[in-house]
Amino acid sequence: MRFLSFLALLLAFLAAGCGLSRNPASSLSSSAASFQPRFVAVPSNPELFTLKSPEVAVTSEGGSGDERENLNTVQEGARAEAVTVPDSPEPSHSSPEILAQSRDEGSDRKENPAAEQEARDEEAARIADPLEPFNRAMYHFNDKLYFWALKPVAQGYNWVVPEGARVSVKNFFSNLGFPVRFISCLLQADFSGAAEEFGRFAVNTIWGVGGLLDPSSSQQLNLLKRDADFGQTLGFYGVGQGFYVVWPVLGPSSARDSVGIVGDFFLYPVSYIRPWYDWLAVRAYQEVNDTSLRIGDYESLQEMAIDPYVALRDVYSQYRQKKVEASRGNPAPPKPGGVR
Amino acid sequence: MMKRVAVAAISAFILFTGQGTAIAGGPLGPPQPVSKEEGGLYTGFGYGYHEDVYQNGSERVFRQNQVYSHLAYGAKNWEIFGRIGISDLKISDAFSSTRASTTTSKNDFEDNWKFFGTLGGKGYYPFTQTFGMGVFMLGSYYFKAFTDRVSGTQDGVPFTSDLEVKNFWDVNFGLGFQATVPYGIRLYIGPYVYYSEAKMSLFPAIPGLNSDNGSIKVHNRTNVGGFTGIDVPLARGFHLNLEGQYSERFSFGAVVTFSY
Repeated sequence: MRFLSFLALLLAFLAAGCGLSRNPASSLSSSAASFQPRFVAVPSNPELFTLKSPEVAVTSEGGSGDERENLNTVQEGARAEAVTVPDSPEPSHSSPEILAQSRDEGSDRKENPAAEQEARDEEAARIADPLEPFNRAMYHFNDKLYFWALKPVAQGYNWVVPEGARVSVKNFFSNLGFPVRFISCLLQADFSGAAEEFGRFAVNTIWGVGGLLDPSSSQQLNLLKRDADFGQTLGFYGVGQGFYVVWPVLGPSSARDSVGIVGDFFLYPVSYIRPWYDWLAVRAYQEVNDTSLRIGDYESLQEMAIDPYVALRDVYSQYRQKKVEASRGNPAPPKPGGVR
Repeated sequence: MMKRVAVAAISAFILFTGQGTAIAGGPLGPPQPVSKEEGGLYTGFGYGYHEDVYQNGSERVFRQNQVYSHLAYGAKNWEIFGRIGISDLKISDAFSSTRASTTTSKNDFEDNWKFFGTLGGKGYYPFTQTFGMGVFMLGSYYFKAFTDRVSGTQDGVPFTSDLEVKNFWDVNFGLGFQATVPYGIRLYIGPYVYYSEAKMSLFPAIPGLNSDNGSIKVHNRTNVGGFTGIDVPLARGFHLNLEGQYSERFSFGAVVTFSY
């Protein structure tokens, strides 16, 4: 009973956060309104900045594991301008260099509509962070979890299991995430996407040896994965990101996406494995396998950013914002070929 | 040229007059691998209907529907492959009574899907761009036993008995002759030799039933057969393979493959 009450309160809390605004930027506090950008080290080569942190990787169940790959798309936004962080502890209004730079950027945007659009997108992607002390604590918890447990295990697994086998395992779990993507496409009235997802699932299950291989992504078939989930679907219908929250183990999320995680959970077949410790073992294995394929990415992010927490938060919100925009009809150009 | 004609004639003779049995592991496929010439994977999804006569004293007709997934790696002239699939089993008159004092609730043995696995390989030698010849070998094994229960009366006393078919396996070796016609369509034909056996045990043994000898090994009645088929390239790397295996019983199968 106590648990149910807690759950109800949590959902109400999250829903309230979601209801703040369609544009999360407007929900920033007054102190955040004086947000002053500061440049942090960001590589000019986006390949170096793959932005696949272990925390983002476990944001949601099911198909969300694929988000890790797609975080690369955020780089487009992140590389154009440096990752912005709030200048703590005091806003640096007095910095003439930054002010001059801001003025220059402003004039650029007036002359260049694309830059203006990009700036608007970035503004829209900003996310309120009223739970920052809690989130930072959870960030550090997840960070230790990664470095002390997940990474060593993943390195050992990496050493024992060849990459081809690990990619096959990843493909298998990705194929199991079909219901999440399929239903999300239907809910977004993306019927061609739903049909494509269905085709992918059929082909990969039948000719991909139960999903271990990914013939759908080959150049011949070119059926690319629709990276849709419930959080994105809520965004499609105008629900704002709400506020930023870092869940222990699950990693970065927003109020809206936290609700989406619940929907994704119930549509992911692995969630129905019983008893619970078998389910936990399978999910842990999936996570170790996925981590083994991207060891070093999170470390790169940490090295590049002055404040990795802020960098991760901005990257997360921009990435989710772009996903929502893509679902509304501005999809990013598909990548040719795919992972087998 | 004369030699080729002679080989084809002998193959056709074996195919259409030899008393053979059908193969339990699914279609054999064209002699030439479907994989890309430079080497690569291909996968398939297939169905096979298999009918065969097994004996040990009395004869029994085995009928099976098989659905399987096929994974192969090969290059221009060779390939190794594996299959994993499920199959049912129906044995006609397995529970028929040979005595008037014994009655049973049914005559046929039936069990549903059980897993089987197949491993094999093939090699291909092209004579010309059109004609070629290949050899193949494959073996299948059923991982679990097929079981069915029968009830009835013996001298007025009711009974229930279980028939189990286990350690079901087969091994096949054959030759295939292939002609590639326009549109990349491959026609093939060839003979094969084949051995299959299974252990059947009825517990408790009921005198008067067709399978009353307790635990016995049954094997295929004859060991030679023939097969013929067609492999049609479809769009986007897919192939359709249809095959018939003819002997005293007719079996057939269809596979759709995808080459990476």
